[in-house]
Amino acid sequence: MNTDRGQNEGRVPLRELGDADPPGRTRGRRDSFRKARRMSNWTAAALMVGTGAAAVALAHQSFPAAAPAAGAAGQTGGTATPAGRTGANPQGTSGPSVTHSVATTTASGVTVTTTTRTVNGKTVVTQVRHAPASADN
Amino acid sequence: MRAIAPTLTCAAPWRRVATGDDVVAVAERAALGTTARVAVWPPASLGVACAAVDDVLAALDQQASRFREDSELSWLHAAGGGIFMISDGLAEAVGVALAAARWTGGRTDPTVCDALISLGYDRDFAAIEQQRDEPPPAPAPAPGWHLVRLDGPLLRLPPGVRLDLGATAKGVGSDRAVRAVMSATGQAGGVLVSLGGDIAVAGTPPRAGWPVTVAEAPYHAGPPQPQLVRLTGGAVATSSVTCRQWRRGGTTLHHIVDPCTGRPADGPWRTVSVAAATCADANAAATAAIVAGWRAVSWLTREGLPARLVGHNGEVRRLGGWPAVSGSPIPVVPGTHVYAGARRSGGAR
Repeated sequence: MNTDRGQNEGRVPLRELGDADPPGRTRGRRDSFRKARRMSNWTAAALMVGTGAAAVALAHQSFPAAAPAAGAAGQTGGTATPAGRTGANPQGTSGPSVTHSVATTTASGVTVTTTTRTVNGKTVVTQVRHAPASADN
Repeated sequence: MRAIAPTLTCAAPWRRVATGDDVVAVAERAALGTTARVAVWPPASLGVACAAVDDVLAALDQQASRFREDSELSWLHAAGGGIFMISDGLAEAVGVALAAARWTGGRTDPTVCDALISLGYDRDFAAIEQQRDEPPPAPAPAPGWHLVRLDGPLLRLPPGVRLDLGATAKGVGSDRAVRAVMSATGQAGGVLVSLGGDIAVAGTPPRAGWPVTVAEAPYHAGPPQPQLVRLTGGAVATSSVTCRQWRRGGTTLHHIVDPCTGRPADGPWRTVSVAAATCADANAAATAAIVAGWRAVSWLTREGLPARLVGHNGEVRRLGGWPAVSGSPIPVVPGTHVYAGARRSGGAR
């Protein structure tokens, strides 16, 4: 029938079990099997590598080895390292040029006011010691 | 359990400080028994920065001061031991103190409080009677930091054990303050905060770093001369036996107590400055070095911390790349021991 012919056009009939492969197709099929197997091996390897990398990345995010993660503000707690606090910042970024000392690290509890003035072209540094304030820690 | 009457406290006003550079704004005020100083750039951020630091200092004082009757720590002490649910802020401060004790091999120990009290440091330092004829009582070694347990916000304090967070609290305060300032300024520019000479910086530093003077007491005459260093990140803190001194029975005492003996540390160093990634690390390491004495050299070297140790004869020893040349940057090593340790023990989240 025209209809049946039309439906079967372009289709390859299924082989019966035990039918031999037509000559020339065996090698092609073997090659494609090999290619598919090779592809799946590569896919599996890529998946394994990807999964491993993702696991390592997640582990690093969850348990930072040294300095805590940056950014979180907190006056009452939290362990985040402040921005730029993971050691030395690169020098010469965009900060201004500051020549005079802005603070003194000294024996705790010593209250010092350091004032720098320029008098007649000379830098005069004044340090005044104050009595401790009313609170302590 | 007693009720706590809230105390109204009024923060001292900030005062602008002229340093000679207009590109940074500097202000300071009395706080925590010493001076708080803030330096920021751009200068327009100063108001916001001071407000942020105010909040941090008020919170820290309320949480961790052993001299305020209404502080959370005083409330724990008054309860006389037990298991407490404490605030996140105090949990962090205690967690850091315990982690510092573990890191320093017990050279800093928050349970040293009773030893300090028995020596006479039982109130705000300004209120201590500077000289008394009677000698101090027999020394009382610290009970030991390992007796204190912290699991998240749950603190177990054995009966009779009181805490002094002095070896780390100012460092924690400086760390929190720079964090709060950077948050308040939208991470713009850079900031330096000093609490009694324990200095932390954050954000973008000035070119070549924040210029910081390393010194002993300003009234100290003789060697060594103050040194100017540059801080490009992290923190620097100084501990010294040359201040906070008082006399009992003809003996000069000071506030850095060896937890093992309960006596003021009597090692070879009178002042130690340490640079580290965080101010709490630097603060703890500097105090531990005073207590550790000669062993501090190998410990600081092993930890890779830049340090400047001043002996009682004024001789200076530099370790870990601490610059010999004035104006040079300090090579701060990344990584924190005390915050990481506190987090592991659940004391900081």
